Amino acid sequence: MLLILDVLTTAAVLFVVAIGLLAIFGVLKIINFAHGAWITVGAYCAVVTTHLGLNPWVALPLAFVVGGALGALSELFIIRPLYRRPLDAILATWGLGIVIGQLITLGFGRDVQLTPNLVSGTVNLLGVDYSAYRLVALAAAIVVGVAFAATIEGTRLGLSARAVIMNETLARGLGIDTARVRLLTFMIGAGLAALSGVLLTPLSSVDPNMGVGWLIGAFMLVMVANGSLPALALACLAFGAAQVLISTFVSPILGSIAIAVLAALVLRINPKGFSRA
Amino acid sequence: MTEAARRLGPQGGADLVLKDVVSGYGAISVVQGVSVNVRPGEIVALLGKNGMGKTTTLKTILGMVALRGGSIAVDGTSVSGLSPSKLTALGLGYAPQEQPLFQDLSIRDNLRLAVASDAKLSQALERVFDYFPFLKDRLKQPAGTLSGGEQKMLILARALMLRPRLLLIDEISEGLQPSVIDKIASVLLNQRATSGVSILIVEQNLDFALKVADRWAVLKLGEIDDEGPAAPDARARVLQHLSV
Repeated sequence: MLLILDVLTTAAVLFVVAIGLLAIFGVLKIINFAHGAWITVGAYCAVVTTHLGLNPWVALPLAFVVGGALGALSELFIIRPLYRRPLDAILATWGLGIVIGQLITLGFGRDVQLTPNLVSGTVNLLGVDYSAYRLVALAAAIVVGVAFAATIEGTRLGLSARAVIMNETLARGLGIDTARVRLLTFMIGAGLAALSGVLLTPLSSVDPNMGVGWLIGAFMLVMVANGSLPALALACLAFGAAQVLISTFVSPILGSIAIAVLAALVLRINPKGFSRA
Repeated sequence: MTEAARRLGPQGGADLVLKDVVSGYGAISVVQGVSVNVRPGEIVALLGKNGMGKTTTLKTILGMVALRGGSIAVDGTSVSGLSPSKLTALGLGYAPQEQPLFQDLSIRDNLRLAVASDAKLSQALERVFDYFPFLKDRLKQPAGTLSGGEQKMLILARALMLRPRLLLIDEISEGLQPSVIDKIASVLLNQRATSGVSILIVEQNLDFALKVADRWAVLKLGEIDDEGPAAPDARARVLQHLSV
């Protein structure tokens, strides 16, 4: 039971971290290497709310808004001029991530920051005492996933985004404001990344480079998902399980590289990864 | 509201004027000085063989290919440089030839994408159901599962969703059986009669083009080679230009 819960909650954390990157990759067709920086920004929103003595839960909406606003500025002034040069756009996001990391260092120093747990203690689940916070992370992943799917399937923005993903030229020809769709998608992606940063604070040390480690895993998962939300959920579950099992029974060091190795293997066998597209 | 939007207004067809239009891709100018006028309520057919610049001309009007020279005006106001989203908001409808549908989206979603807000959706759907009743019972069906003829009718239905004042149609008769072509022709003529829409069609099907058009122009190597009214001698005149 403990192992099952570990697998589920690990998959949930991976899903929350990767979903923002998936949104941006799906619509904009670029890998946003500033994703790790947005995660860090979110975590520092939790640091700020702690310093201000606010309720720790305030950090969640704050991070989404701050991440979305910074994402909007990045899309408008850095990414948008580079859409016709995708390699340059990817390099620009990498540079942006470095700049954000340095700005955070300037503002908060290099020291590891401490934040209070959103939820503490354990819950007895079928005879097993389990971290209440990890269960909250599982619930958060479900809420974020359902909300994201509802936005994609049930709103005009979601419909326009799907149209842009399928055929951007046709979408433009029909009068869809593709620039607006890209902007809103980038904002949502950056906002979700920052939101995941808050959720990671009890699980990961908060420092200016904390997002970098998570970026690699998220990148591999999004590559395997190939732009598909169900495929991302499946990849998180499969690779999360592998990470937990290898860490538990073989070696935590090997467990930490399980996602990267398995993703490379899956993509070698099937370039579309877990996606049917 | 822009001057063009004021002039387009909600009713009647638009007056489209292309003057010495030059456009193309990379180093090549595919369209080399095309001048065409589609008057309010008029249907004009742009004819020509493959690679002569017909589709590029439509895409230039639509703002999808950059205008390199000349001018494009609607009701006397320049629309050069406007994005497709702004032109659509002004009442321009487009039925493309290449990859014209979102194959994995439902028929309803394909139609829904043509209107700016869902508040206008029901009314617009009822309007196109009058022309194409088969769509009504199959709204949830993926567009890619329709037959070729049904897909063409869906493309036209989508272009009519926003009650366009100017309609650009790219080779809609391609690969269709005569009964479907007749249906499309009757829809276009009916829509023109009821709304006064102006239509510019790009075609290779001479019979269809001359059946619906008031005037024609033949495009050859990016230039207008000949033009005239859809008079009884039009077919012979056009064929002279289209022969190999």
